[in-house]
Amino acid sequence: MRTKQILLAVTVAGLLATPAVARKTYSHQKYFEHYEGTKTCLKCHKKQARTFFHSQHYQWKAEASNVVGAEGKKLGKINQINDYCTNPVPMWIGEYVTPEGKVVEEGCSKCHPGNGTLPGEELTDAEMENMDCLICHASGYRRGLYETEEGGWEWKPILWKNQVGLDSVSRRISLPTRTMCLRCHAASGGGANFKRGDLEYKQTDCDTDFDVHMASDGNDMQCIDCHAGEDHRIPGPGADIAGNEMPDRNIKCDNDDCHGTEPHGQAILDTHTKRVFCTACHIPVFAKENPTNMVRDWSKGIYSEEKGKHVYTATFEKEVKPVLRWWNGKTSHMQEAGKPVATNDRGEIMMAVPVGSKDDPGSRLFAFKEYHAVMPVLTEKRWLLPIRTGVFYVSGDMTDAVRQATSELYGLDNAEFDWMPTVHYMGLFHEVSPASQALGCLDCHSDGGRIDWAGLGYEGDPLLALFQKSH
Amino acid sequence: MHRTWKIASIVVAGMVVIALSGLANARDKKMDGQALFKEHCKVCHGADSDNGEYTPMTLIQDQWEEFFSDTYVDTHKDVVDTAHGGKKVTEVITPEMLEKIKKFAIDHAADSEHPMTCG
Repeated sequence: MRTKQILLAVTVAGLLATPAVARKTYSHQKYFEHYEGTKTCLKCHKKQARTFFHSQHYQWKAEASNVVGAEGKKLGKINQINDYCTNPVPMWIGEYVTPEGKVVEEGCSKCHPGNGTLPGEELTDAEMENMDCLICHASGYRRGLYETEEGGWEWKPILWKNQVGLDSVSRRISLPTRTMCLRCHAASGGGANFKRGDLEYKQTDCDTDFDVHMASDGNDMQCIDCHAGEDHRIPGPGADIAGNEMPDRNIKCDNDDCHGTEPHGQAILDTHTKRVFCTACHIPVFAKENPTNMVRDWSKGIYSEEKGKHVYTATFEKEVKPVLRWWNGKTSHMQEAGKPVATNDRGEIMMAVPVGSKDDPGSRLFAFKEYHAVMPVLTEKRWLLPIRTGVFYVSGDMTDAVRQATSELYGLDNAEFDWMPTVHYMGLFHEVSPASQALGCLDCHSDGGRIDWAGLGYEGDPLLALFQKSH
Repeated sequence: MHRTWKIASIVVAGMVVIALSGLANARDKKMDGQALFKEHCKVCHGADSDNGEYTPMTLIQDQWEEFFSDTYVDTHKDVVDTAHGGKKVTEVITPEMLEKIKKFAIDHAADSEHPMTCG
């Protein structure tokens, strides 16, 4: 037995010092001997770390110059309430385990590029060392949730016991690739394509029919080809993300570097581009691979035998037709935490409503995902409330989950709350189909066409009206 | 008569062993890489094992490649698998099975897109 142990110990030692691993060279091969956490990066990259501290990716909020009424404020998921997973603060980090021993939640910080501490307002050495550079910059880096010696939680490399392996992956440094970005952005809202609808794991390696821009067999564009930032500020938050770090650098399809303002070569189509943005016709459907969450009712919890946890009631759909809305670049109703909600004429709380109209010459028609939810609202003050989702997934006790989260975020104990419906508009800019699959004239201009003309401010199909006028 | 009965018993017992062994082999052939890893690797390399805990995400892909091509036979040729009749590990795990285990380990290594334990 002892001989066997010695033999295996020798094996392990040999294995962890494999020459093949050492032979490969990576971008940061020569810069350090051993990766010892963020301090290894900081030896050369303090300046970059300082810029990252102020970024939306680290702070989860940024200047919200495109949000109506938020001038001068910093908004983001950290201080807003959304109708997917509500707010990250009460669900930041920690394991939630069912009585059967299944881990059903680890916290929203799973997708925060830090080692587990909630980002602070002041740049300190501790904040610098909390940054996890590798999560976005090292292709083979993966991390897991571990208990600290003090009884807290932290994210650290799954290779923390394997220094040779960790040294290898920590040297594979690059700008973020599509795969790296999609690890978080394709799983927002709690699962694969739950939230965005147009960002899927499939885009790590998809064909042109799926996405003409990101297709591996076509343009093979990386996220940062369009979202090309500076100093960790990233342009192009779309229509429903409050923070806009680079308001002077909007991402457009119709600039001269990309498609221009007359891309079709046919006057009848090029005329449309003045009032119809590209996505309205070129994203005929979204959620092409994974169904996206279209309705989430937090008020109706059920136990899922399949998932082994309590879940909200939800509707998921695939190959969804977008809705069209006028948008002039401004968005309203971003639902800052601790502000009374506003409802539309259907009694729904409005979330991320695109601003624009037919009569606003600066508005164009854009493609949106229209999402509905049912959310808890503080009875007295009409504030949207957060949910400690992990508590609900384990126990099924929604009142407890809402009250725990409300206590943590707002400092209010035993909150009395009601349930209210929400409607939320999310801009669609990915999963652009090839021109051959774009909408044709009759998809919109026909009886039973997909456009709700009245909803866009028309009395009926404007083309039909034009014909009737000319005859 | 007694001797004949004894021989017959031995033959029957042998046939049962062969049949069970055949069944085990057939079962092993149907098992995927994850099931094989659990059945043949985890028994000695589970959590808190004196032999070291090994799951696919313990190592990176290059380390697994190196292990299967250069190290496995040397380090396991004298290891006896008590869970499988006391045979040597390198005899119990056929080349076909080893290939499945290797693929599972590499596909779910620490630097793969989907790092995994073996469950």
